[in-house]
Amino acid sequence: MTLLVVDIAEMRISNNPGEILITYSLGSCIAMAMYDPVLCLGGLIHCMLPLSKVNREKAQIRPFMFVDTGMQLMLGQLYELGLRKNRAVIHVAGGSQVLDSHGIFKIGERNFTVLRKILWKNGLLMHTQDVGGNKSRTVSLNINNGRFSIKSGGNLVHYDLS
Amino acid sequence: MTYLEEIKQHIDQFPGMPPLCQSLIAHLGDPETEFKTIRDLVKYDPGLTADILKFANSSYFGALQGVNSLQTALVRLGTKMVMELILSLSVTSRLLPCLPGYGLMAKDLLKHSIWTAVAAQELANMLNMKQVDMIFTVGLMHDLGKLIMDPFVQFERLQFNKVFETLKASFEQEERHILGFDHAQTGAMILEKWNLGPQIVAGIRWHHEPDKADEYQDLIYLIHLADMLALSEGIGTGIYGMQYTVSQKTIQILGLKKHHIEYVASTTMDKMKELETILG
Repeated sequence: MTLLVVDIAEMRISNNPGEILITYSLGSCIAMAMYDPVLCLGGLIHCMLPLSKVNREKAQIRPFMFVDTGMQLMLGQLYELGLRKNRAVIHVAGGSQVLDSHGIFKIGERNFTVLRKILWKNGLLMHTQDVGGNKSRTVSLNINNGRFSIKSGGNLVHYDLS
Repeated sequence: MTYLEEIKQHIDQFPGMPPLCQSLIAHLGDPETEFKTIRDLVKYDPGLTADILKFANSSYFGALQGVNSLQTALVRLGTKMVMELILSLSVTSRLLPCLPGYGLMAKDLLKHSIWTAVAAQELANMLNMKQVDMIFTVGLMHDLGKLIMDPFVQFERLQFNKVFETLKASFEQEERHILGFDHAQTGAMILEKWNLGPQIVAGIRWHHEPDKADEYQDLIYLIHLADMLALSEGIGTGIYGMQYTVSQKTIQILGLKKHHIEYVASTTMDKMKELETILG
């Protein structure tokens, strides 16, 4: 098994059953994994910020930094490779926040809101949703069997295709 | 021996500043320092000279044409920045090891420290706070105390994990509660020992509790916010990194708008990556 690391503000796609896509340390950032079990095709994205309008110049160079530009590109690439909406299995994790009772950092919450809206507009359903709280998460997607795993603190939870 | 006594003993044994930095410190507080003085101190250290040239040529400092002499580099960066860089470079090699207690992998602390330094500087630029000195150095050094605290945090893992599940207090409060000292206090004591002056010590001491500082508020709130932003974005967050409290006064004291924070997050990452290649 090869681990393919998805860095912050990046996205990777694989259809190699020998690969696991992994992204580390999601704080307020949000990750979405999308998998087509028939094609053994999956993608994983790690977005930092909700909307590209905050820095359009940066969004040109690093579209995956933002949920809006990143998701659009990811969905486009996966559809191009043959992923079918009705088979898509979607997992979302991250969007947590530091202890901030006055909402200075609402980045995590906003990341999730924007992501959910894009999924909804595209008629896509989330199968797993582990979002919010005050914990950092590391997530991975196994291209061989679609297993999605979330590690947080000492806990590791797997989500397998049913 | 209590944890507190043991921690103090570790602080006493923590390595001192390299001799070059000690000579520089003598010039730190003096705005009239000629760059000739600094050039003469630096030029006999080829490694340092090379690092300064790399910095001067980085896009972080807006390099447009190649800088290949120490003299030009010093002019481009300015004497103040060069002194900050030399101090910063003297600690970067210490920020590389993994810290299992905090759940940080190798280089995570370095990345986190660079991110904090860059973001604090970016915030200061955006808010037009030109008179705040030592932002970069304090940003880079703010978590030095974690180097000493790590084995203690690891030893008390069960205690800390209990807190982690119940989420009652900010993590530095739990450090004090369980170990007698937090990493900000420990870091400040190292810097005090290094005799780096009250500004740097205060910046490190209060980076999680800026409301308690009675001097250097601008610097301290900038570092606080940049640190919280780094932790929030998952840069060197480790196990407990989301369990720190943002001071509610930050926005008001710095005169920030929320979109400022997201803008700074968007510009900081690539600069951090560039400096990481130079410093790592």
